[in-house]
Amino acid sequence: MSPATTAAPRRELLEGAEAIARAALAADCRFFAGYPMSPFTPLLESMAKLMPEAGGVCINVESEIEGVNMTLGAAAAGTRAATGSCGQGIALMQEAIAEAALNETPFVVFNMARNQQDYFQCTRGGGWGDYRTLTLAPKDVAEAVEHTQLLFHLADRYRAPTVLYGDPLIAQTRVGVEIAPLDLPPLPPKDWALDGTQGGTGHSRQVWTWAMGKATEPGPGPDAHWQAIAAKFEEIGAAEQRWEASETDGAETLVVAFGSAAKFTEWVVEGLRAEGHSIGQFRPITLWPFPGEALAAASEGARRVLVFELNAGQMIDDVRQFAADRSVVRGIGGVSIHESGLSYGPLLDAPEIRRRILAALEEED
Amino acid sequence: MEHEVLIVGIGGQGIQLVGKTLAQAATDSGLYAMLAADYGGEMRGGPSQSTVVVGDGPLRALPILPEAGAAIVMHDKFTGPVPERVRPDGLVVLNSSIVDPAAVGDAHRVVALPVTEMARELGAPQAAGLIILGAFVAVTGVVDHDRLVSAMTSLLPPYRKQHAEANARALAAGAAAVAERGDLPPHRDGKAPQGAAA
Repeated sequence: MSPATTAAPRRELLEGAEAIARAALAADCRFFAGYPMSPFTPLLESMAKLMPEAGGVCINVESEIEGVNMTLGAAAAGTRAATGSCGQGIALMQEAIAEAALNETPFVVFNMARNQQDYFQCTRGGGWGDYRTLTLAPKDVAEAVEHTQLLFHLADRYRAPTVLYGDPLIAQTRVGVEIAPLDLPPLPPKDWALDGTQGGTGHSRQVWTWAMGKATEPGPGPDAHWQAIAAKFEEIGAAEQRWEASETDGAETLVVAFGSAAKFTEWVVEGLRAEGHSIGQFRPITLWPFPGEALAAASEGARRVLVFELNAGQMIDDVRQFAADRSVVRGIGGVSIHESGLSYGPLLDAPEIRRRILAALEEED
Repeated sequence: MEHEVLIVGIGGQGIQLVGKTLAQAATDSGLYAMLAADYGGEMRGGPSQSTVVVGDGPLRALPILPEAGAAIVMHDKFTGPVPERVRPDGLVVLNSSIVDPAAVGDAHRVVALPVTEMARELGAPQAAGLIILGAFVAVTGVVDHDRLVSAMTSLLPPYRKQHAEANARALAAGAAAVAERGDLPPHRDGKAPQGAAA
C-alpha cells in the first residue's frame, strides 16, 4: 500500500447509524420519529442532526408507541417516513405495524437490535391479522446503506411497512462508505395519500383497516379488502426473496447464517474451504420472505446443514422447513449476550465459530 | 493488503481518539478504513479498546478481529486481546512508561517508547496517545504524517480547538522518536522509517 494515495476520496468515515440516516435521506425520507434506546440511539441522533437540514421533521417522541403512530400518520399523508428502536421498543410498535400492513400505509422500521433474538419478531410479526413484514438483514454497513434505500422503495411499491434488521455492529462500526443512490424503477403516484388535496370536494380519501368506505363511495369492505391484502403478501413472498449462496454446489457442509453473523461465518467458511473442506454458505438476505426454494437448491446433497444464529434457535425453523433434507439440519449458534446487555456476547467471534464448525464436522465423520 | 491494529489502554488515555484519528487519516488518504466500536462502559480508568483496519481495497476484516498484524498498548492494566491475537510476527508499539514489554508476550516485534513521560515533558500530558500514534505511523507508514495531523485537527470539537497545536507537537514527537532510533523493525514497505521534524 502506498501512503501517497491522494485521489479525492468519495468515501467518508461514517458511523453505521449515520450512514443509514444519510441513505434514508437520499431515499427522500422526510419524517422520522423515535425514542432513544441503545443501539438505536445513534440513528435517532443522526436523524435529529441531518433531517432538519434536509427540510424534514425528526421527533424525539415520548414512547415507541407514539413514534410509530406518528410515523403511520406522516406516511398516510404521503411522506416517506420511518421509525425505529431495538427489538424491545419495536415490541411496543407491533399494533401500529399490523394496522399499517392492513391499511396499506408504507413506512420503514429500523430495528437496530441488540442481538439476533428478534428473528421471530421481524418475520412473524406480533400484531393481529394476516400480514408479514418484508425484512432485510444486512451483513455490514455498506449493505445497510443499500438496504435502507431499497426498503423505502419496496414499502411504497407494495404499500406496506418494511423492516431493516440491524445490530450494534452495523449501528456503531465506523467505515469508509459512500452513499451512492440506488437506481430503482419508478413508482406509481401516491393517489391514495391523505394529502388534503380532495378536501371539500366530497371525494376525500381514507386510510382505514376495515375498508368500509363512505356512504357516498363505499369501499370493498373487510372481506374483499383482507383477501386482497393476503394476495399482496403472497405476491411479495414470491417476488422479493433475496439471498447469497457461496460455493454451495456439491458442498458436503452448508452453513446458514444471517446479518452480521453471516459476515463472520463467511470469513470462517472461506478459511476452511482454503484448507480443503467441502463447505459452502447460504445467507438469507430477506428474512421474510425467506428464500426457501434457493435454500432447498443450495442444500441439495449436503451431508450437514449448520445454522449459526445468536439466539436459542429461531431461523432454524425456516431452515428446517425448506432444507433438501431436514434431518441434517442442526444449530451451532446459541444465546450470547454482552455483559452490558446491549450487544453480542463472546460467541460472535471467528475462532469460536470455527471451533463449532470443526466440532460438527468431526462428530459426524 | 489489510492492516489490522488493536489499540488498548484505559479510559482517559485517549484510546478512542487514537483509533478515530488513524481511521480518519486513512479515509482522507483515499484508503478504506474501519473503526470498530468498543462496547465496554465508558469511564476513566476502565478498559478501553479501539480496532482499526486500513486497506487499499474493500475490507474483508471482521469488526471483531480474529487476529491482528499490529497493536498499540498504552496500559498494562488492560491489554485485552493483544497477547493472544497479534500475530507472532506482528508489531507492538507500547508505552514503556507504564507497560512491561513482557505483558504482550515476546513473539512480537516491539517498539517501546515512554510516551507518558514524553507527554509530560512536552507540557501536554493528555497527548500521550497521540505521541504513540505518531510513532506507530512513522514505523508502519500506513498513512502520511501530514494526513494524521489534518485528521487530528478536523476531529477536534470547537471547544477543544486550542489543543490542536499541542496535539500536532505530540504527533511529531512520536514520529521524531522513531526517526532517532536505529533499533526499530523495518518499515513494512521496506522503506526507512519516516518521521516529521520535531
